[in-house]
Amino acid sequence: MEQTAWGWLVVIYLFLGGLGAGAFLSAAFFELSGWRYKRDFCPTVLTGATISGPVVALGSVLLILDLGAGKMEPWRIFYLFTNFSSVMTWGIWLLCLFIPLAMFYGLLELVEVEPFAKGIIWARFPRLLRNLRPTRRWVAIVGSVLAVGVAIYTGVLISVVGPAVPFWSVRMLPFLPIPMMPVLFLISALSTGMALTFDLAATIAVPHIHEVMGSMALVHIILIGLENILIGLLLIMALSQGGAAAESAQMIMYGPLRLTFWVGVVLIGLIYPFVVHAYAIGAGRHSLWSGIGSGVGIVLAGLFLRYLIVTAGIPAYL
Amino acid sequence: MAPKPFSRRDFLRSALGAGVVITAGSAGQVVIAATNHAEQVPAKYALIIDTTKCVGCGACREACTIRNNLPEETSYIHILAKGEGADRWFLPVQCQHCAEPPCARVCPTRATYRRDDGVVLINEKLCVGCKYCEVACPYQARTFDEERGVVDKCWLCLDRVQAGDMPACVDACVLGARLFGRQDDPNSEVAQLIASGQAKPLHPEFDTQPSILYYIM
Repeated sequence: MEQTAWGWLVVIYLFLGGLGAGAFLSAAFFELSGWRYKRDFCPTVLTGATISGPVVALGSVLLILDLGAGKMEPWRIFYLFTNFSSVMTWGIWLLCLFIPLAMFYGLLELVEVEPFAKGIIWARFPRLLRNLRPTRRWVAIVGSVLAVGVAIYTGVLISVVGPAVPFWSVRMLPFLPIPMMPVLFLISALSTGMALTFDLAATIAVPHIHEVMGSMALVHIILIGLENILIGLLLIMALSQGGAAAESAQMIMYGPLRLTFWVGVVLIGLIYPFVVHAYAIGAGRHSLWSGIGSGVGIVLAGLFLRYLIVTAGIPAYL
Repeated sequence: MAPKPFSRRDFLRSALGAGVVITAGSAGQVVIAATNHAEQVPAKYALIIDTTKCVGCGACREACTIRNNLPEETSYIHILAKGEGADRWFLPVQCQHCAEPPCARVCPTRATYRRDDGVVLINEKLCVGCKYCEVACPYQARTFDEERGVVDKCWLCLDRVQAGDMPACVDACVLGARLFGRQDDPNSEVAQLIASGQAKPLHPEFDTQPSILYYIM
């Protein structure tokens, strides 16, 4: 029996939350490491900073569209802020802090390429424009903390339902009482964020990006390897746990969801990007099409991964 | 010297500090709630379902549907068929009115709450219909009312109970497989069954301390 209470809207919301947070972290990494200032134009920071706010905001809109009475009577949405023992309440607070800060970060980057954005800041905060670099630095630091929070929260949200859905609360290792989902969602968020801002944006905008290519491909290949290990561990742990968790894993590996898993996650999100990145490390650069291919593959795989996890959340046997 | 005015920077700094403290504090609260059951007022009522008598006729489910004016094929009770062939038996499940309800813990709006008499209810005016509680209930006892956009479940027919009657499902059970009463009264039949240790919670490993109990051979 599939999990039926939550459907595609929640799947896409969890995915966009991770993607936006990951894109922000990717941009903040380039900012804080100083790599961003090695050239006049950094497509990774520009894409990550401008896209993360709107992407997470879009996810939040989908979450609201999934509501019942909250959609019909929107003032009820304010009640969501009230119960601090609910992880959903934490998440709503995180989103409300992260989205405006990420949008502001986007504006701070847009001033480089968009005179209109420069005009907005110039008119109101001329001091800010003179101190652009320290401001960006602080926004990147605070925003990174919030972004990690957003990415982890999407996993915590489903892992705290505890005994109700055994697959979602599978531990990382038998002796390690840390739930797998928050960790897997964080790594997947970083990976999809990097795919969007680096594999896609950077290779399209600067096809001969040389200086940082090798080390970035290395970082990314480590992330992909980690994600591979975590997904493998999740399935092994679920299978060895038996009951509903094992049924979830079977549903994914050789049940009705097998095609989505083996093609949509393993092939296009793990194997193909791994090969392409290994080649990129050797060659020192991505070809345009391998960059686009692995970028699209990883982002789509992030969506499919969340679809699999949400759909295979079989309730505990009674 | 005049006291230093409280600047905007001071305000931001203290607001940030308060935010961190609140977040850390509530995180601690959750951990405590999860590990150490707070002192709960014991439940006043108990419903004991005797599965040795239940034949799965569905009268309780039907009575619930009619009494709560639910659409056809929906009910706050679902009946699971267990075992094979001659060993077949039936397990009716509804809201277990837990002392530690996971649904109330995850509800972001506090729409789900536990009354002092142990009955778990939903304040429909607060419910936004996020379905988090439906996902978090290990007994799968919650349904989503598409029309009103809120989550719905067994409320132990509280109006009838307070008027001295039985919940509709108890009245409807012709085989007497449902026993309802006051567990705070030591002379009641339910209290004696509980004391004898014959009435047990369904899946105690869920650790929610239900006030619906089962008599299973």
